[in-house]
Amino acid sequence: MLFSIDYIATIINSTIRMMSPLLYASLAAAICAKADIFNLSMEGAMLVSAFFSIVVNYFTKSVVLSILAGVMASVLVSACVGFFVLKLKASPVVVGLAINNTVAGATTYLLYIIFNTRGVFTHPSLVGIPKIRLPFIEKTAVLSTIFSGLTLLDYMSFVIAILVYLFFYKTVIGYRIRAIGINSEAARSLGTPVEKYQFLTISFSGILCGFAGCLLSMGSVRLFIENITAGRGYIAMAANHLGKSHPIGVLFASLFFGCCQALGNFLQNTSLKTQITSSIPYVATILALIVFTVQKRYAKQKKMLEVFNKDAASS
Amino acid sequence: MILEMKNIVKVYDRVVANKNVSITLEKGEILAIVGENGAGKSTLMKILYGLERPNSGEIYINGKKQVFRNPSDAMKQGIGMVQQHFMLFDTMTVTENIIYNNEISKGVFLDIDANRKKVRELSKRYMLEVDPDKLVKDCPVGVQQRIEILKILHQNADILIFDEPSSVLTPIEVDELLKTMKRLSNMGKSIILITHKLGEVMEVADRIVVMRDGEVVAEKRREETSIEELSYFMIGRQTTSPVIKDLEPCKEVLSVKNLSKVDESGKKLLGNINISVRGGEIVGIAGVSGNGQSELIKCITGLDTDYTGKIEVCGINVTNKGVGFIRKAGLAHIPEDRYYWGSAKEATIAENVLMGDENTERFSKKGLLNFREIRKHVYRIVENYGVKVSFLAQKMKELSGGNAQKLIVAREIEKKTPFLVACEPTRGIDVGAMEFIHEKLIEKRNNGGGILLISSELSEILKLSDRIYVIYEGRIEHEFTNKNLDSRKLGFLMLGGKTA
Repeated sequence: MLFSIDYIATIINSTIRMMSPLLYASLAAAICAKADIFNLSMEGAMLVSAFFSIVVNYFTKSVVLSILAGVMASVLVSACVGFFVLKLKASPVVVGLAINNTVAGATTYLLYIIFNTRGVFTHPSLVGIPKIRLPFIEKTAVLSTIFSGLTLLDYMSFVIAILVYLFFYKTVIGYRIRAIGINSEAARSLGTPVEKYQFLTISFSGILCGFAGCLLSMGSVRLFIENITAGRGYIAMAANHLGKSHPIGVLFASLFFGCCQALGNFLQNTSLKTQITSSIPYVATILALIVFTVQKRYAKQKKMLEVFNKDAASS
Repeated sequence: MILEMKNIVKVYDRVVANKNVSITLEKGEILAIVGENGAGKSTLMKILYGLERPNSGEIYINGKKQVFRNPSDAMKQGIGMVQQHFMLFDTMTVTENIIYNNEISKGVFLDIDANRKKVRELSKRYMLEVDPDKLVKDCPVGVQQRIEILKILHQNADILIFDEPSSVLTPIEVDELLKTMKRLSNMGKSIILITHKLGEVMEVADRIVVMRDGEVVAEKRREETSIEELSYFMIGRQTTSPVIKDLEPCKEVLSVKNLSKVDESGKKLLGNINISVRGGEIVGIAGVSGNGQSELIKCITGLDTDYTGKIEVCGINVTNKGVGFIRKAGLAHIPEDRYYWGSAKEATIAENVLMGDENTERFSKKGLLNFREIRKHVYRIVENYGVKVSFLAQKMKELSGGNAQKLIVAREIEKKTPFLVACEPTRGIDVGAMEFIHEKLIEKRNNGGGILLISSELSEILKLSDRIYVIYEGRIEHEFTNKNLDSRKLGFLMLGGKTA
């Protein structure tokens, strides 16, 4: 029973839902990496978006306004990081951690001030992001399970991954930003306003994190929990590393981590302890990075051996 | 007159870098500006290229006064600079590097085909051959410089500044570059050549300006001067050649047996290298750079432990051992790149001199540094080696290239180890400092030390070495004693020629 097709379809569905916020955040990490900005504030940017989208949602009942508020809050936070790191030349590690901690504290505090509650806020009047129903898919039971309950933002994440790819590898501005990432001094010597491009890049990464945050609070669920991001911003950094900062590579890396999170959630229904199941995504992150490195080293050694053998054979 | 710089004054914190310097440049002319390190020629060019602003003085382009706040301003007035350290995007293609900031686009998209065509045209027009689709990191240094030149030509520069262009090139590449410069000037481009290699100056320059201590001390047409006269103006005294006395080599300090190395992509970098160095001799490795010298050095000094074969330093087996172990066995090392391996730019002079010795009984007790002893030592080194410093807590990066190199040479020689590896010990530094370093190396040899000398300057190898190995494509197949050596034959072997 455990491995019925339906069951697998449900896991795939859950994977997609887990994956899309991660994909947004990983793309944000990737574009920053491409522009030679060390940004670890995706966590904070997502969290602030998740919070303010719920606040605006509660007061206006408008999904569009909620998303707008979430994205704006996230862009603001990212722009702050950009200002500190690029303009004031502060250490990106210190700024990133400070922002993440500040946002975590501030949302908890504001949660209490605005809603007079701690930990979790939810309310029947909150509106979720509308689910998209695809009539031609609903005819097949399996497909309809796989694609059930997905929102516009979920689908959009894939489109945006492709758009980011086109932007970086086909457009003039994308090419210039890549060049900055390769050698910012050279770009500067050619008269490029490097900091300006970098600032715009990190601000744009804020938009992506904003979408991610909205998906967390208004996608599958309609609530805000303290620290709802649960380290996804850091997992995104790992996904960016695994995907070598290439939008399509990052897409597959997020798929992998999304799958791990989905599995973690499903195994909660088994006899395994929740502490173990909920640690699966994080353990997977570490394992993936180790495998990635070991495999790279192994490939190198294999190549060396090949050459020596060829040499021995020829001499 | 296409360019005039008038009464330029530039003062840094403690030094006057340019005192009322005036130069002119005609259309189609090649002007060489020569001088020792710290003579102020780089500063002058930085001002012309908009990287620095002068305290006073004016710049006129085609008779019109201009103020350059940044390189873009200078570029707009047709000034382009080939920097000493290339400014390239090495994981991008040649085309992408050349067209940067002047791209042909289709809407928001980059039109890569049109851009590639443009690069081909440019390369044909100026006879600078490049492969538009190759990645820059796969191009040899000479080609990378060609890319730099094409890049500024693509920006429609009429005044081309070359800052020490030959310091990274092999002899053949230098010939090629000099031809290119002549060709460009015949096509109507004006060129300023910053260098201290007087041989090259005498080959291409129309006019020569000599700078010393921030001032113009001489201005000559090429026909009316000579290398001897120019070097006299440059350093203010006559040059001398060192005395090398005959010595009987003693104990072996380096023995390398069957050393081989392969890189990640499976390319063979070193193949079965066998060399040995004894005390009391300088052994030169001659070769066009990029033929495995850097890899060989890294293996011998322990910077790279990933190789096969056997290496002994002073009779101790150091195969696959790290730097610390090998240095303890008796190695000192003047690295190829004085900033990357040789020193810490942000650290002070005293700290840089101390490096490697911080744990010795002389300079520390129970983990605490003995500052009195350190200061004494550093002061003595700075004094004996004539390093021009303002104070001992000055940062390494504030020293001129020649002074930084002297300091590193001093540190490594003063370790008084039996074996020294000297890589490009005089790369990119002026005649005065070069002579001094040569003297010190010979002094070490005369005191019984063994030196392995790696240099891309064949003249340096010929001047100092007792014995010479020729390296070509990671292999050493020829060995000579440096007596009545035919340098043309050596050059032939360096390019892979076979002896009959």
